[in-house]
Amino acid sequence: MSGAVQTALASPAGPARRAVRDPLVAGLVGLCLAAAAVLLVASPAPYLVNALGQLAAFAILAVSLDLVWGYLGILSLGHGLFFAIGGYVCAMHLLAHGVATTGVLPDFVQFMGWKSLPAYWVGLDHAAYALVLALALAGLVAFVFGLASFRSRVNGVYFSIISQALVYVAMLLMYRNDTGLGGNNGMTGFPLLFGWPMGSPGVVTGLTVAALLTLAAVLAGTRLLIGSAAGRRMLACRDDETRLRTLGYSTTRLKLGIWCLSAMIAALAGILYVPQVGIINPRVLAPDLSIEIAVWVAIGGLGRLGGAVIGAILVNGLKFWLSAAMPEAWPFILSGLVLFVVLVLPNGLLDLVALRPRSTWLRGAR
Amino acid sequence: MADPKRSLLRAVLALCGLGLWAVPTLAAAFDRAAFAQDLCGDGAAQVRGAEGLVKAGGVLPADDLAYAGRLLGALAERRLTCPADGALLLDRPGAPEGHDALTGAVRPAAEARVPVLGLRQRAAVETARGVVALLTGPDPATRGAGLSVVERRVATVPAAVLDRARDAETDAGLKATIASLAQAAALSSPDLARRRAAIAAVAASPSGAAEARLTALRSDPAYTADPAFRAALDAGLSRVTRAVAIGDGLAVVYNGLSFASILFMAAAGLAIIFGLMGVINLAQGEFIMLGAYATYGVQEAFRRLAPGLLDLYLVAAIPVAFLAVALVGIVVEALILRHLYRRPLMSLLATWAVSLFLVNLVRVTIGTQNLQFIMPAYVSGGVPLYADFVVTWNRLFAIGFAAATVVLTLLILRRTPLGLDIRAVTQNRDMAACLGLPTRRVDRLAFGLGSGLAGLAGVALCPIYSVNPGMGSGFIVDSFMVVVLGGVGSLLGTLVAALGVGGANVLIEPISGAVAAKVIVLVGIILFLQRRPEGLFAVRRRR
Repeated sequence: MSGAVQTALASPAGPARRAVRDPLVAGLVGLCLAAAAVLLVASPAPYLVNALGQLAAFAILAVSLDLVWGYLGILSLGHGLFFAIGGYVCAMHLLAHGVATTGVLPDFVQFMGWKSLPAYWVGLDHAAYALVLALALAGLVAFVFGLASFRSRVNGVYFSIISQALVYVAMLLMYRNDTGLGGNNGMTGFPLLFGWPMGSPGVVTGLTVAALLTLAAVLAGTRLLIGSAAGRRMLACRDDETRLRTLGYSTTRLKLGIWCLSAMIAALAGILYVPQVGIINPRVLAPDLSIEIAVWVAIGGLGRLGGAVIGAILVNGLKFWLSAAMPEAWPFILSGLVLFVVLVLPNGLLDLVALRPRSTWLRGAR
Repeated sequence: MADPKRSLLRAVLALCGLGLWAVPTLAAAFDRAAFAQDLCGDGAAQVRGAEGLVKAGGVLPADDLAYAGRLLGALAERRLTCPADGALLLDRPGAPEGHDALTGAVRPAAEARVPVLGLRQRAAVETARGVVALLTGPDPATRGAGLSVVERRVATVPAAVLDRARDAETDAGLKATIASLAQAAALSSPDLARRRAAIAAVAASPSGAAEARLTALRSDPAYTADPAFRAALDAGLSRVTRAVAIGDGLAVVYNGLSFASILFMAAAGLAIIFGLMGVINLAQGEFIMLGAYATYGVQEAFRRLAPGLLDLYLVAAIPVAFLAVALVGIVVEALILRHLYRRPLMSLLATWAVSLFLVNLVRVTIGTQNLQFIMPAYVSGGVPLYADFVVTWNRLFAIGFAAATVVLTLLILRRTPLGLDIRAVTQNRDMAACLGLPTRRVDRLAFGLGSGLAGLAGVALCPIYSVNPGMGSGFIVDSFMVVVLGGVGSLLGTLVAALGVGGANVLIEPISGAVAAKVIVLVGIILFLQRRPEGLFAVRRRR
């Protein structure tokens, strides 16, 4: 990519120093904690609680993408893959847990004509093992793909479309019934969560609180990361990778580490999302959905963690409302919103309130 | 039930079935009254009557067959009643009176029993009706319907019936079908010489069906018992197997070539745009869709204005689709992408928004259903070349179209002033601008060219794929892979990569399935990029 390097060299170096203090992120963390506290004492309508929980899961997903796109300049159009890895492992855990408790095999296992769960499901009824497995799997896939890409200096648009092909292939793979995870119907009918019946108000509230607390933790953690020395290297790498490499830093290792971290955060979002909607199927792997994640980030404000959260909540809130109220109009509104933000507000909706001076990189160094 | 007269008839009919059909005097003994009585009898008698008719079918006179056909039809439609004084044919089920089966005289039906067909009897009666229809049907459609019934139960039908039908048949297509069926029946004939001749005849026109038919004969007892039969079968089978393998190989190459043509058409525009501006146009698939819809518009215009020239619409659509989609591309460039050249990742999202908009615009205004295209003669059907390999015109159209596109695009890029400008800006944008080239205008025209190529792909797709608003997303990922593999800004690289990806997909697909083929190709591309991150044919350039 000599062209990209040329561009990077020609562009002015972006601001490497950045205040650790970020009132927006602090406010959002506080809001999450407050909402979680309110949910524990008051009990609003379950569907509202559930919607809030889903929004929190999407926000985590958006933060994970913003971490690599906004702070490292790597646009992944395949983050749905890691989200789906978390979701599928979580669904496997819920089904295995159900089998261990009730002894009833899930529908798709009976459909495939199997007498019991396949051997590789062993141990998945333990939540801790499932959690570790989901994160490890997402991290491993990200590591292999990232190593192959970053090592050969696949950057920019190239990386984006290869990651899109990756999620597309994964979708085709999961649509096959023979792959063994429910095929095109996916997995659903989860009976229990930690022994509690799924869908009861306590479980709904519990899931939403868990999602909110995780979002707060992810926001705080990534904020600390960005404020650290590694965070400064990320910004330097984003603004001028060649210069950073020339200075003796291993940008491959840096990018690979953050990339894997981002994948694991996305898997976390998937883990939290699936029990809330009660189903996982290959549609979460559709390339369009992965692009939509990037749209949330771009609309909210690229390169700002708070922007990603706001974008995810805004777009998905609108989607919940409009795809029910006027399903025909929603795609037009979404495409119009994207074009408006991309053309008029290069830094997303946060430009409207101008919470922070514009970065030269975000305005158009690349 | 042990009526001696009927037993005799049965014996005669059985003899006919055993291969004595060549003696017409015996068949002349067809007893109309006994046949009617059989059909009026219990389930076993009905089957006996129907099967007896089938076995004698090769020699029975036409009027006997017509008589039997009337009775069988009445039985199947519950219009046959059986009073004590002989079977009656009713005009409709439950009518109070009917015609006597033998004499045609009108008699009252008077509460008589209506025989009902069980499952087994129905099959036998249907076969017998099929034989009658095949032999006496007035038009090819009736005879064809009879043939398809006979085909299902060909094992119970003697060869004489098929031979007689083939000799009497006037319709060429039907005659060929009957002949192949007769050939299949001859393969299981008790006469070994006849079987050997049939094997040789089958092997002379190899196909997958012939191979399956001959392979099935290996489990025949004659294969182990008779050395001459075994030798004939082995020789025939090896000949057919080899021919089928060659034919299948040719088919794979042909399909790979046509898939590669589509991929190239889809990817060529992408490659030019990406090479020039570093913009990945996620709406390229939707531009292809627009090209297909423009073709549909041309077809409708022809239908209204010049129905006589309707067959030419596909040719007329070529310039229309190119210009229409090129115009859409230029508008998109002027309104949106122009502002995003320094932010390629954002242009990715913007073109995605454009694609979302276009898909839903078409969905809302025209509808989600597949469009119906009239297929002119030059893109429908095909010519069977060898064994199972058929050169289908629609795929040949796509291949020829892609070849013409390669040549034309190369000519535009290499021989026109616009092509010179595009190459100059692709190689070094700043220097080209310094030399006074209007780079922005070049960008716009090149974007129009790339979009127009997508429109052409839409025209080429019409005879092959189903055309609907979502068609663009189907192969967009594949065409991206082609661009990445081929290298930026090299049309030749795009061509080679399209051939490679298309060929690999088609080669791997029969071995491990379509999905595995896609996975393997993607992994292959990622591995390849380890060696050559710039793709196959990287253009040296500065930007």
